Amino acid sequence: MKSKDCEASDARSSIDDVIEVYKRDIDRTLLRESLKLSVEQRFEALRELQAFAEELQRAPRTKSP
Amino acid sequence: MTDFAALLRLLTREGVEFILVGGAAATAHGSVRLTRDLDIVYRRTPENLARLVACLAPHQPYLRGAPPGLPFHFDRDTLQRGLNFTLVTDLGALDLLGEITGGGGFEELLPHSIQVTLYGVECWCLGLKHLIDVKRAAGRPRDLEAVAELEALLEEGKRDTH
Repeated sequence: MKSKDCEASDARSSIDDVIEVYKRDIDRTLLRESLKLSVEQRFEALRELQAFAEELQRAPRTKSP
Repeated sequence: MTDFAALLRLLTREGVEFILVGGAAATAHGSVRLTRDLDIVYRRTPENLARLVACLAPHQPYLRGAPPGLPFHFDRDTLQRGLNFTLVTDLGALDLLGEITGGGGFEELLPHSIQVTLYGVECWCLGLKHLIDVKRAAGRPRDLEAVAELEALLEEGKRDTH
C-alpha cells in the first residue's frame, strides 16, 4: 500500500508528464521573438491579437460547398 | 476588448497596491498566448479598498457573465465582505483577486514579484518562477498548457544567459 507522500509524489510526476507533452507543441521561435521585445511591446502584440480574435468572431461564416 | 493601458494607468494613478498575475503577467514575461482580461491581486487594507472603489466605480464594474439588473454595488462593503471578483468594466474585463490558489494574497506574493514599466507606469508583476508555481497549483487543464509555455520561456531565458 502506498503512503500518502508517495501518492502525492506520483500525482506530481503525472502532472509533470502532462506539461512535458504540452511543451512538445510549443513553437519556441515565437517565444524567442517575444523575448526580444520590451514588456510594453509584448502587450501591444497582445492587443493586436485580441483585436484579430474579435474580428474573427465577428466574421460571417459561410458554408463549405 | 480590454484596454490594458487604461486600466493599468487608472489603478496606478489612484495609488492602488496590486500585483499583475495570470495571463497578463505571462504576457509580461513573454507569453504569446491570448488573454482577454487583466488579473490583479490587490492588497486588502481599508485604504487600498477605498482606492479601488474610487478609481473603478466610475467605470461601471459589474459581475462578468451575470444577468443584468442584479443589485450589485461596487463599494467598500462589497469588497470587504468578498474576496475575488470577476468583473466587466467599460475598460474591459478585470479580475480583482484577494488571494490566488497556491500563492496567497498580496503580502505573500510581493516578495516573489518584480517591477515592470508599462505604458509609462511602474507596477508589480508576479515573477516567472512563482507564476509557474501558482498556475501549477491551480491545476486546470488550460493552466497546465500555460505552464508548459512559461517553463519553455524560463528555459529560453536561461539559454540566453549562458
